[in-house]
Amino acid sequence: MLLLSCGFIGLVAVLLIVFIIGGYNSLVTLRNRYKNAYSQIDVQLKRRYDLIPNLVESAKGYLAHERGTLEAVIAARNTAVTANTRAAQNPGDSSAMKEISSAESALSGVMGRLFALAESYPDLKANTTMLNLMEELTSTENKVSFARQAYNDSVMAYNTRREVFPTNLIAGPFNFGPAELFVIEKPEQKDAPKVSF
Amino acid sequence: MDFFERQDKARRHTAFLVFYFVVAVVLLIGAVYLAVLLVFGGFQLKNGADETAASWSQASMFLGTTVATLGVIGTGSFFKTLSLARGGRAVAELLDGRLVNPNSTDAQERKLLNVVEEMAIASGVPVPQVYVMDGEPGINAFAAGHSASDAAISVTRGAMTMLTRDELQGVIAHEFSHLLNGDMKLNLRLMGLIFGILCLTVIGRVLIRTRGRKNPLPLLGLALIIIGWVGVLFGRLIQAAVSREREFLADASAVQFTRNPSGLANALKKIGGITEGSQLQSDRAEEASHLFFANGLKSRFFGFATHPPLAERIKALDPSFDGNYPSVVLPDLPATVIPPPMPGVSHLAPPPPPPPPPLALVAAAQPPPLPVVGPPPLPTAPAIIAQQTIVADIGKPRTEHLQYAVDLHQAVPPTIQTAARDPLGAHAMVCAFLLAEDAAAREKQLDELGRATVEAVRDETRRIWPDVQGIPPQARIPLVDLALPALRRLSPSQFEQFRSAVNTLIASDEQTDLFEFMLQKLVMRHLDTRFYPERRPVTQFYDLRPLVRDAGILLSATAYAGADDPAQAQAAFAKGAESLGHIARAEIPWLPPTECDLKHLDAALDRFAQSVPQIKKNVLTACAETVSADNMIQQREAEILRAIADALDCPLPPFLQS
Repeated sequence: MLLLSCGFIGLVAVLLIVFIIGGYNSLVTLRNRYKNAYSQIDVQLKRRYDLIPNLVESAKGYLAHERGTLEAVIAARNTAVTANTRAAQNPGDSSAMKEISSAESALSGVMGRLFALAESYPDLKANTTMLNLMEELTSTENKVSFARQAYNDSVMAYNTRREVFPTNLIAGPFNFGPAELFVIEKPEQKDAPKVSF
Repeated sequence: MDFFERQDKARRHTAFLVFYFVVAVVLLIGAVYLAVLLVFGGFQLKNGADETAASWSQASMFLGTTVATLGVIGTGSFFKTLSLARGGRAVAELLDGRLVNPNSTDAQERKLLNVVEEMAIASGVPVPQVYVMDGEPGINAFAAGHSASDAAISVTRGAMTMLTRDELQGVIAHEFSHLLNGDMKLNLRLMGLIFGILCLTVIGRVLIRTRGRKNPLPLLGLALIIIGWVGVLFGRLIQAAVSREREFLADASAVQFTRNPSGLANALKKIGGITEGSQLQSDRAEEASHLFFANGLKSRFFGFATHPPLAERIKALDPSFDGNYPSVVLPDLPATVIPPPMPGVSHLAPPPPPPPPPLALVAAAQPPPLPVVGPPPLPTAPAIIAQQTIVADIGKPRTEHLQYAVDLHQAVPPTIQTAARDPLGAHAMVCAFLLAEDAAAREKQLDELGRATVEAVRDETRRIWPDVQGIPPQARIPLVDLALPALRRLSPSQFEQFRSAVNTLIASDEQTDLFEFMLQKLVMRHLDTRFYPERRPVTQFYDLRPLVRDAGILLSATAYAGADDPAQAQAAFAKGAESLGHIARAEIPWLPPTECDLKHLDAALDRFAQSVPQIKKNVLTACAETVSADNMIQQREAEILRAIADALDCPLPPFLQS
């Protein structure tokens, strides 16, 4: 009898260990998944940060009177680069994600302003380099938003797994903190400057 | 030995493996019982139990140990196998691999990705996921997964940075031969079984910690640890024996594939020449040691070594090898580039510490200069293909196929290549393949696409459509293979959208043509294993008899694809059906078009996918005979043949110009 109970204890022990290992591994997997998803955003963001100076360079000649906007674009781009470097090192970290979210929102806003401005310069609009760059930027922007959706989906999956029973028993002791979403506020239309012809 | 024989052999190996494993478990139960008898017998003697009670308790004791040992090993193996069911990426992530972005711009990663992509297109399999083990300075690599659709290839940082392109190609070709030889499934099984035995020692460790006077449990725990390790030793012997045999085979296939023995030989020499060798730092490497390219663990006695000695492997490739490893000169790593100050408004705040190098991209962002010479023409499908080479080529790509892959890389417009490696771009590319030629119909499709998914997908599809239009049909399937790693990075909800987008586009013109059917089948089959890991075909058919009608559907559909005239089609059908009917000892039915449409074809393929390799081979041979009945392989025929081969998990290399 002692033996049967011994075997039973053994079985329970194995099940317990399997449960802990399984729960732990699933959390690690989900965490890796959202980190990987961020790296996909990172690739596209970097592409975008590379394109912006080129755009500014090409537009400079035409927009000599709009220096303020161009400077604002470069400044917002630089802030975003720093924020992204931080976020890429530690995706999901609350403060880093908030920083990149606000930096990207600001950059989107100021880029929207630049695009609106370009509308009123026919010469600029006729420039093929400029057109290519703008098209490339729009496409990159789309890719960022698509990758961001994938990242947010995987962050949600991770956060849910972290909070539901029984994995929540493991999340605490093994230090699985909550992950932060990457949200960009749409630049509001009213912020766009009035275009005067 | 062809692809199918190797697959069969791998299956038989699995049977042997299970047999050895059962023997090991029986021996382990005996050993545990003996230990229990000694430990508890000693206690009972001291307590002076009478004899009848003792013999009764012996019977129950035996039962108890058997149940307990089986339970422990069984549960352990079961859960490990379950966790490995996610395929190659489960193993790659277990060993701290980092998934490399398919659209990475890092020079080293790009080199690795290109080599893997070329190899995959040459073999006709979807591009596997590529992982890098950043914490490993040595040179090593492995491939893992159940099938080509969930395969992962993982290399150490050392392998990525220290090997030249040729050497890396040798290593990757070696891993692809494992993939094509069917070694991977075997390897995953092995990992699961060994883990079960390992669990015994875990229980031992738990028991040894129990406290109490006259408590026999710690003693039993000690015995369990010892027995467990002996069991693991057994496991290792099986593991090593299986592994060593298959390494030589993989080396040989790799050379056959790349026709460049020096690449692989030099990679092996480099392993001998560096201090880290091929050793791995990760403590989990032990479990997966038989997967690796070269010995991942510290040297072992011969019986336990998972790989043949390095010098022996090099000698097999390069007979002039004298046993002296050249000292390795490390190639200059591209140092972290400190970018020049940003162009533009100069008096602005200085750029933040590590911005990406913007100047390098100025050139890239300019529209490319008009090419003086046009891009190399896309490799075209030949009109005539010898029937024998079709089946013989399966799972055995040749150097010509590798060259085809390289040419394809160069011939496809850069916009499409970038698109194929990005999740949104890949999504859009597959959608663009399904768009109608007619402008009005296309706009309607794009509208529907926007509703089925998000606007970004619609815009991107519209953007790349002009470039997609110029891609000839035979280059489209390799491009889809290329796009699969990026598509695997969709989130589950994005995948649902992708699936509904593809279905919407196919349904929009109210008739499904062969290319659409094939594309859908290919993409969904390989992605389903990623998003629904539980759907995996199990071998159910060992005989052709129950599949006679399915064979009829397959051959009839193939015949109709190749000939417009029904009489001609029937003649082609007869050619394939003759040999197959002989094997099945039954008449293969000739079916009217309504009974072998795409829906029936789909169901028939699903059933054939669950048959043993030999049946697949016979069916593919018959299809190839039907296709080449008129000594011509047309585009449509080539497509249907590829669709059939792919659905049966038989990697068919691209058709070459003869």
